[in-house]
Amino acid sequence: MQTSKTLKTRRVRLASSALMALTLACTAAACGGGSDSDGSSADGPTTISVATFNEFGYEDLIDEWNASNDDIQIKQVKVGTWDDAKANLYTKLAAGSGLSDIEAIEGDAMPAIMAESDAFVDLSDPDLDGRWLDWKAAAGTNADGQVIGYGTDVGPESICYRADLFKKAGLPTDRAEVATLMGTWDDYFAAGDEFVAAMPDTAWYDSSGGLAQAMLNQVANPFEADDATVDVENPELEAVYADVTDNVKRGLSSRIPQWSDDWTAQFSNDGFATMACPGWMMGIIEGNSEGVDGWDIANVFPGGGGNWGGSFLTVPAQGDHVEAAQEVAAWLTAPEQQAKAFAAVGAFPSQLEAQDSPEVNEAVNAFFNDAPIGEITAERAAAITVQPFKGPKYSDILSAFQAAILRVDDGSQDPGDSWDQFLTDVDALG
Amino acid sequence: MSTHLPARGGDTEQVSSPRPGGATGGSGLLLLPQPKPWRQRASRLDVTLSPYLYIAPFFILFLVIGMFPLGYTAWVSVHDWSLLGGKGEFVGLDNYRKVLDNPYFTKQLVNTISIFVISSIPQILVALALAGLLDTQLRGRTTWRMSILLPFVVSPVAVAIIFGSLYGDRYGLVNEVLGMVGIDPVAWHTNRLASHVAIATMVNWRWTGYNALIFLAAMQAVPRDLYESASIDGASRVRQFTSITVPMIRPTMIFIIITSTIGGLQIFAEPRLFDGTTARNGGSDRQFGTITMLIYDFGWQLRDLGRASATAWLLFLVICVFAVVNFLLIRRLGAQGGER
Amino acid sequence: MSRRPGFLVYGLLIAFALGSAAPLYWSFLLGSQTKQVAAQGTPPLIPGGHFLANAQRALDSIPFWKALANSMMVSTITACSVVFFCTLAGYAFAKLRFRGNGPLMVVVIATMAVPTQLGVVPLFILMSKLGWAGSIWSVVIPWLVTAFGVFFMRQYLLDAVPDELIEAARMDGCSQIRVFWTVAVPAARPAAAILWLFTFMQVWTDFFWPLIALPPDNPTIQVALNQLQSGYFKDFSLVLAGTTLATIPLLVLFVVAGRQLVAGIMQGAVKG
Repeated sequence: MQTSKTLKTRRVRLASSALMALTLACTAAACGGGSDSDGSSADGPTTISVATFNEFGYEDLIDEWNASNDDIQIKQVKVGTWDDAKANLYTKLAAGSGLSDIEAIEGDAMPAIMAESDAFVDLSDPDLDGRWLDWKAAAGTNADGQVIGYGTDVGPESICYRADLFKKAGLPTDRAEVATLMGTWDDYFAAGDEFVAAMPDTAWYDSSGGLAQAMLNQVANPFEADDATVDVENPELEAVYADVTDNVKRGLSSRIPQWSDDWTAQFSNDGFATMACPGWMMGIIEGNSEGVDGWDIANVFPGGGGNWGGSFLTVPAQGDHVEAAQEVAAWLTAPEQQAKAFAAVGAFPSQLEAQDSPEVNEAVNAFFNDAPIGEITAERAAAITVQPFKGPKYSDILSAFQAAILRVDDGSQDPGDSWDQFLTDVDALG
Repeated sequence: MSTHLPARGGDTEQVSSPRPGGATGGSGLLLLPQPKPWRQRASRLDVTLSPYLYIAPFFILFLVIGMFPLGYTAWVSVHDWSLLGGKGEFVGLDNYRKVLDNPYFTKQLVNTISIFVISSIPQILVALALAGLLDTQLRGRTTWRMSILLPFVVSPVAVAIIFGSLYGDRYGLVNEVLGMVGIDPVAWHTNRLASHVAIATMVNWRWTGYNALIFLAAMQAVPRDLYESASIDGASRVRQFTSITVPMIRPTMIFIIITSTIGGLQIFAEPRLFDGTTARNGGSDRQFGTITMLIYDFGWQLRDLGRASATAWLLFLVICVFAVVNFLLIRRLGAQGGER
Repeated sequence: MSRRPGFLVYGLLIAFALGSAAPLYWSFLLGSQTKQVAAQGTPPLIPGGHFLANAQRALDSIPFWKALANSMMVSTITACSVVFFCTLAGYAFAKLRFRGNGPLMVVVIATMAVPTQLGVVPLFILMSKLGWAGSIWSVVIPWLVTAFGVFFMRQYLLDAVPDELIEAARMDGCSQIRVFWTVAVPAARPAAAILWLFTFMQVWTDFFWPLIALPPDNPTIQVALNQLQSGYFKDFSLVLAGTTLATIPLLVLFVVAGRQLVAGIMQGAVKG
């Protein structure tokens, strides 16, 4: 017994020293790489971390900056969804440490972030006046006139569609003809009825939640009145809810939650034929559709224009290098850079100058059947007539609303019950 | 398990304390040269103080990281306490009332218990059977033991990702295979019971082998002559297993059940990563949301630490109740088994 | 039950062993396919040739090496700390006579039932006040000692160190601390090794608290995996290649110290 114990001990000691060595090796590797060390040493470059979610199209831009700047290096920190980024953002805001030097904020959440203005650096810079669309600049500025966020992109909505599936269903495939099918939401749904009658195994659109969000972007006061009091029992919201939940019965919805594993998988499995398509969505479609041919984009959005998303870059005050961070944020959101981000992932610039630049205007996307995406997106941006009022609770209520639609979508509740539960959830936001 | 120690400590103290300078106790005094008074005193101090010095680092650290949070959670739970704004007014039991009134609390409590029951009962039965298989004269014993322990080194997050890729509602392998044998696809993320089953399989995969090894250890401690006499009486192997082995390893069963209760009721990683919706609260209608996920939701998504703390305390109470109920239940079942 | 196992027993055990390994194989299998094939749900059962490419993409998507280094550091530091402090306290509880020994041990045992979730809110507030939120120390601190560790070491040392040996050492004039080092520590080694392994694994696999405490650019392996899985761009081949990669360190530990783990679990069971 004694010998076997000694033997065991020796083995464990061996194991632990092996692990120890591995730890040291990893630590050394992480430090030696240089790119992972946060902050700056006395003589080394300052590293500015930029936390993004989804796809910002910054990879090449960061390489470009890092190649030409020795004293400041940029490191991107990618988080998956905005919801995850948001939870992390608030947690680290409360903790007072742990945020990146630059944090990207989803446009819908800016009003809530404004309530925490103290935690962010005022980025006001007279040189940058007039860089952005007026409404975009306004959305990044708080009531005291402090600039909390620099706008990155906007999300003018069009309709992306699978021309190959349209053909199979006997619908027109040319993008101009497709546009004529979708002037209003009723037209769009009617075309959907026709499509699913011919192709019962394929849904008309990708997810009810995504469609609802697209429609909400045409409502002036979706969840809150102009004085920011919560008002979710308004007729416009109820109409969107009714439309979307009725479509579930009509078979138009894929009945899959947006951004879920199944949602991703349906891109490769002919799961649906159309989707609401803000500029930044093009990169996501392309990324998820490896091996799929037939995507195209129509210069139309039912019921007029609409803006979905588009983000901001903010500089949390807790960072160690706020000035360098502001410099980097200003550079990343400069027209030339955002024009390149548009080319990379379709994120449509919120900068006037970028929108007018030939790189954007004349952009053509090979994946979308050589569609003139610059021209289309610019026209979709011009068609935007309504900027919905978004108060501090918008983002949280939207999550509850999406869940309500999903409950009907996946069949776990009927529309009435799900609506009631939505009202309870909104109350619980406190 | 802890009863005999204080008694023994007490006895020794009574024996040793009356002796003059008897810090070192016993016969040492007779053999060693009489120590000088200061050394005696130092030695006595050594004896009386050392134990406290040894346990002090543990208890001081434990006070900070174990006990302080316990009390502080209670303190937070009776205040209005937002994540960003910090402490607000004292609100008494208001947070508890809010949590109990929230329909999700009951729902997620039921989910937690349901996932726990669906996972632990089959897990314990299978682990028992597996231990029975291993408690034989196998060739390559250690290899078999290691092979069933393999899942234990895979983290719950990894388990959830791997199993999650199998349980797609529309495009998952499990549904494809069910389809081949003519079963309709199961809505793993929507149907409440189905989602619990999916999550329970993750838990079971990771823990069954581990529990089987614990059972095996207990089985090997059962005196072998019991089986021999039972064999002579003509009892079958299965009968031997149910009427000798199972009652004899009762304490181990209690141990496993209580530890798996504590662990199982805190389940978080598996259901959270199983969820494909962006809110990640456990399905569109919280079909598989658990209490710990509710703590996270209240505290860090709705940014209300008061309600999160109240929920944490309620979870603690539930765990206590479960531990006691389990204990009593097993003791009764075990006692009946023993009588047979 | 001493008996020769038949084919049935071996057959069932093989089935269990396959069941244990199958999900890991699946993970590798999906991780070795192209994105497109992995998205289909039913890939071929033979691995494709894209594992390294996928793994590379996974490494590019999350700060994997940093996460690995963090996990190693956190797990190693806490495992060493738990072993040290808990052996010391466990020895005192098992072998030394002092006032309050019994009641204090009851306190230790009772706190083993306290869920870690109960401490998350105050820990968060505490770490925020200290300015440690976001650093790996916020994950190390809560694990520095565990009630289980004390309980486990006490149970072991109760029998492993004969009282006579301690008495004899004391008679030779050893101070208490020398007795501890020369008698108790060598005897405690096997249990300490097991406790070390267990703590290491437990901290390695912990998710809830690190998710709250750590930012995405300074994660542990578990938090990084969560990040990998939650992308807008979901790519199963990448996610599962990353998952496989992240599982390798503990698999290595398992290969090296699996026997000890088995022995430890079985030993702990009899003591507990």
